[in-house]
Amino acid sequence: MSPLAPRPRVPIEPGFFTIPEAPAEPPRLLGSSCRSCGEVFFPRRAVCAKCLAIGTDDVQLGPRGTLYTWTWTHLPLFGSKRADAGGYGVGQIDLPEGPRVQAVLAGPREAFSIGMPMVLDLEVLGETAEGAEVVIFRFKPQASEERAQRAEGERSPSDAGAA
Amino acid sequence: MKLHDVAVLGVGMVRFGSLGAQPLADLAREAGLAALADAGLSFRDVGEAFVGYVAGTPMTGVKIMKEFGLTGLPVTHVENASATGLVAFREAAAAVSAGRCDVAMALGFDKMTAMMGAPRPDAGARDPKAAPRRAPSRGVGRDQIDSVILPASYFALWATRRMHERGTRPEHFARIAAKSWNHGALNPFSHRQPDHRVTVEEVLASPMVSEPLTAMMACPVSDGAACAIVARKDLARRRQPGRPIVAARSSALQSERYTRGHTFVGPVVGPSSMTRDTALEAYEQAGLGPEDVHVALCHDAFANEELEYYELLGFCTEAEKWVEEGAGELGGRIPMNTDGGLIARGHPAGPTGLAQIHELALQLRGEAGRRQVPGARVGLAHLVGGGSVCCVNILCRD
Repeated sequence: MSPLAPRPRVPIEPGFFTIPEAPAEPPRLLGSSCRSCGEVFFPRRAVCAKCLAIGTDDVQLGPRGTLYTWTWTHLPLFGSKRADAGGYGVGQIDLPEGPRVQAVLAGPREAFSIGMPMVLDLEVLGETAEGAEVVIFRFKPQASEERAQRAEGERSPSDAGAA
Repeated sequence: MKLHDVAVLGVGMVRFGSLGAQPLADLAREAGLAALADAGLSFRDVGEAFVGYVAGTPMTGVKIMKEFGLTGLPVTHVENASATGLVAFREAAAAVSAGRCDVAMALGFDKMTAMMGAPRPDAGARDPKAAPRRAPSRGVGRDQIDSVILPASYFALWATRRMHERGTRPEHFARIAAKSWNHGALNPFSHRQPDHRVTVEEVLASPMVSEPLTAMMACPVSDGAACAIVARKDLARRRQPGRPIVAARSSALQSERYTRGHTFVGPVVGPSSMTRDTALEAYEQAGLGPEDVHVALCHDAFANEELEYYELLGFCTEAEKWVEEGAGELGGRIPMNTDGGLIARGHPAGPTGLAQIHELALQLRGEAGRRQVPGARVGLAHLVGGGSVCCVNILCRD
């Protein structure tokens, strides 16, 4: 494998989120919508937890939501090499479709406040024996996403084409 | 569930702690024999047994029950995560209430130090090239993704939201934790027995685990065993003349009801309405209300949980004020976790709820020594268990 080619990415567990081909594209969460009452769930389920109707449709959720609550955890992150990096954020994010999702957060401790807009992203937890990156979904403040996009826009057209 | 004619005849437990060197069967036998001795009964009198543990392999319960002798009694394994012990007690009380047997045993045992991969005496001698010890999986079918967010983070999410909505300060959580540590100092069965009066400042200064929760606001990793013997009340009167009768009045067990905002992935204990609904059912079935409770025990794996439960159990409507008034402390209006709670007494999972029953039995008999709540006649034990469930049992002195 060329050192410049993007490494293949595999989910920590299949069936919970997408892994877009383009590294910069945010993932989506894999959810279900009840065919009877319309309630939306994450993760996927076969029976509606609200009205008990059998039969749901697959839907993709996100990538945007609102931070309902958060914390900064000073313990090692499960399955990660990031144990000694001074902690990491964890939050609950309300999606506009309805579900509330618990996730690891990307960004420094000072970055978070309740009610702020968030956007989905992927976190690399480790690698498989074959060299693929093991990833999990995470959320980051939308402001950091916009900053990254602005930086992208300020690059020359040839740079953007290469990315 | 209303319980008819059920008394707690005996209780027994070992001091919780890091008991790595002691076999699980020894801990269970010690607690069970202590409860039988307290009840004044022989194991031959026990008609049915319910064993509570979360870390054992299949067959563990039946094999451990052989420690008491082989009498042919039915043995049933009960598991509801942290709530396991209270649910084992509920099943034993229900067996007597339903007339299935005259005497039933609820026995809880677990070694969390083994389950959590805590350092063992031989840890330094391990081959560094050997595969690392894997974290235990917590879910069926979602072993990996369910384990990423730790319980400490989960309860810290509650705390941050509470601070946002109600103006709670870390000092409130610290005062609850300090109270529980200091209650633990009065309990010879408590894992943590501080040799000095623990202060709010000391709790706040301990290492941060997940903001705003510090290490001293969290329960330790404990091993232990605890047991309760329940029987028909006439047996209690006959076997224990002169001793107050502690009756098991009601038991409620609920799992979650769906509400918008329910989180399905990762640790979950809630929604908060689960504790309110379960407590209401237990009060109704006992014919009592929160105003009747003299002493209570709750699931305080983290101190901020206890603050929430003051309200959800119906003791008050402003938990921060309740804490500032010291209402949950010994000498306060409804002392909470008089044995130290999960934070001090310890939380080995299976036996935790039976340690609560142990404490309530002593309190209602008037045998709780330096931590006695004067004149206590009604006691409440509450636990939540991951997954999640809530169990509330109400005991009364007749």
